[in-house]
Amino acid sequence: MSTRRHFLKLGAAAAMAPAVVSAQSAGAGRVVVIGGGFAGATAARTLKALEPKLTVTLVEPNPVYTSCPFSNSVLANLREIGQQQFRYDGVKRAGVMVAETSATAVDADAKAVTLADGNRLSYDRLVMSPGIDFNWTAIPGYDEAAAQKMPHAWKAGAQTVLLRQQLQSMPDGGLVVMSAPANPFRCPPGPYERASLIAYWLNIWKPKSKLLLLDAKDAFSKQRLFQNGWAELYPGKIEWVPLSQGGKVTSVDPATLTLITEFGSHKAAVANVIPPQRAGAIAAQAGVADRTGWCPVEPVAFESTLRPGIHVLGDAAIMGGMPKSAFAANAQAKVCAAAIVELLAGRKAPDPILINTCYSLVAADYGISIAGVYRPTNGQLADIPGAGGVSPLEAVGGLRGQEALYAASWFRTITAEVYG
Amino acid sequence: MHRLLLPGLAAALLMAGGPARAADGPPGGPPGASSCTGCHANAKIADSVIPRIAGRKAADIVTFMREYRSGAWPSSVMGRIAKGFDDQQIDAIAAWFAAQPE
Ligand SMILES: Cc1cc2nc3c(=O)[nH]c(=O)nc-3n(C[C@H](O)[C@H](O)[C@H](O)COP(=O)(O)OP(=O)(O)OC[C@H]3O[C@@H](n4cnc5c(N)ncnc54)[C@H](O)[C@@H]3O)c2cc1C
Repeated sequence: MSTRRHFLKLGAAAAMAPAVVSAQSAGAGRVVVIGGGFAGATAARTLKALEPKLTVTLVEPNPVYTSCPFSNSVLANLREIGQQQFRYDGVKRAGVMVAETSATAVDADAKAVTLADGNRLSYDRLVMSPGIDFNWTAIPGYDEAAAQKMPHAWKAGAQTVLLRQQLQSMPDGGLVVMSAPANPFRCPPGPYERASLIAYWLNIWKPKSKLLLLDAKDAFSKQRLFQNGWAELYPGKIEWVPLSQGGKVTSVDPATLTLITEFGSHKAAVANVIPPQRAGAIAAQAGVADRTGWCPVEPVAFESTLRPGIHVLGDAAIMGGMPKSAFAANAQAKVCAAAIVELLAGRKAPDPILINTCYSLVAADYGISIAGVYRPTNGQLADIPGAGGVSPLEAVGGLRGQEALYAASWFRTITAEVYG
Repeated sequence: MHRLLLPGLAAALLMAGGPARAADGPPGGPPGASSCTGCHANAKIADSVIPRIAGRKAADIVTFMREYRSGAWPSSVMGRIAKGFDDQQIDAIAAWFAAQPE
């Protein structure tokens, strides 16, 4: 019998037995998780680990998750896309029910989620971790069809493979043009890691080519570390154009691979447009996204300030000082799972402390990092003063090589914790 | 096939009271602890150059964290992280990791 039919039967059973479920002892209950990325998959299996009595259902349409972290290394031919991909077998083994379909509607008052396969799931607590969607109207000319010519590769998978193919078939000497959005967006150092690793690859395979990075802001994460690395490793190869010098892309023409800014236009041999983003579409449908397109939450259990009973995690949420990273999503999910266990048992969730550490590769063996430690402060997750910060500008004793090794170790560890 | 039986089984356990959660302190450990396992895996799940801390002596974890925090012991990222924790918080995290199976 297929997993799907298992699920259908389960769905029917759950729908028919609300009285039984509400009669459960303290500590038990039904939790539905929407989205099986770093946040959602972590939340689902941590809930089950902390409270095996819970019925936890993860709703995720893709049978295979493709990780964005380390996908820039796929562009530079340092990894294959298959190494980015993870199935949900480990999550299922942990006792989580996986519904391989998408959530199409959330009824916060009725505490129920409608699924694309027609089923309806009731919950006591809902976790929403749908990641991001692109704002397809933000850059005139850049719609879903344009992304087939000018890939974003900001959701890893087919887009990553497309961008890599375009780079490989580009003539030597061709200009690569990237564009980075204004804050906030998924993975603040990500565009700069990507520029670094493309330059690393160009140096070897297309030595006459250059990379132009058009930016809708005047400063970026780990900026001095990146810029020092570029000067050291790829002198003259990467040109970064900040907002104040006309970096903001105002429209694109996919037919001619042209990016237009306030100051001029740039014709690319390969164009990578990273468009502005917002929380995954289901967040707005559920009423947990505000006018910014992102989801405000309180800083202890990450419960929506707009819809009680719904917790929002990962990139979709406004997490105060915490950046939109996989490390942060995983840390938030573990805190949220523990808090939900407490809340379902009628207890108060304790104030958490969370850590974020994001590694970036400037070259295959050259890593840099940014870290932060966060706690609830005035209704927001805020940086603990004095903690965190970036790698030292002066690297001694092989530090960059060491951080590159730590980056790879982090990736193997976190993906094993979440999907293994 | 047995996955199908799980909800029924879980419900039966619930009716019978079910196994109690070993609950001393909040689930998931003291503040900060759960973030550590993103790099320091709780079980031998991945090939990593980052040392595991589960099952290590609490006193050793405390010493490392304080030395990282003061800078007496050089580190890449741990110094920046340790600065976010006071002595009491470090003690609690160390005790929790020490109690985890190695
Ligand atoms: C190039 C790049 C490099 C990066 N590198 C790093 C790095 O080195 N370190 C780091 O920490 N972070 C990195 N990140 C950031 C990281 O990818 C994200 O922060 C992380 O994926 C966020 O996790 P999430 O669970 O919130 O969202 P996602 O991982 O996007 O998961 C969301 C899931 O929800 C599902 N979903 C959406 N809508 C629905 C629905 N209606 N119903 C059911 N399911 C739904 C999606 O299919 C998806 O599987 C990088 C990102 C990029 C783009």
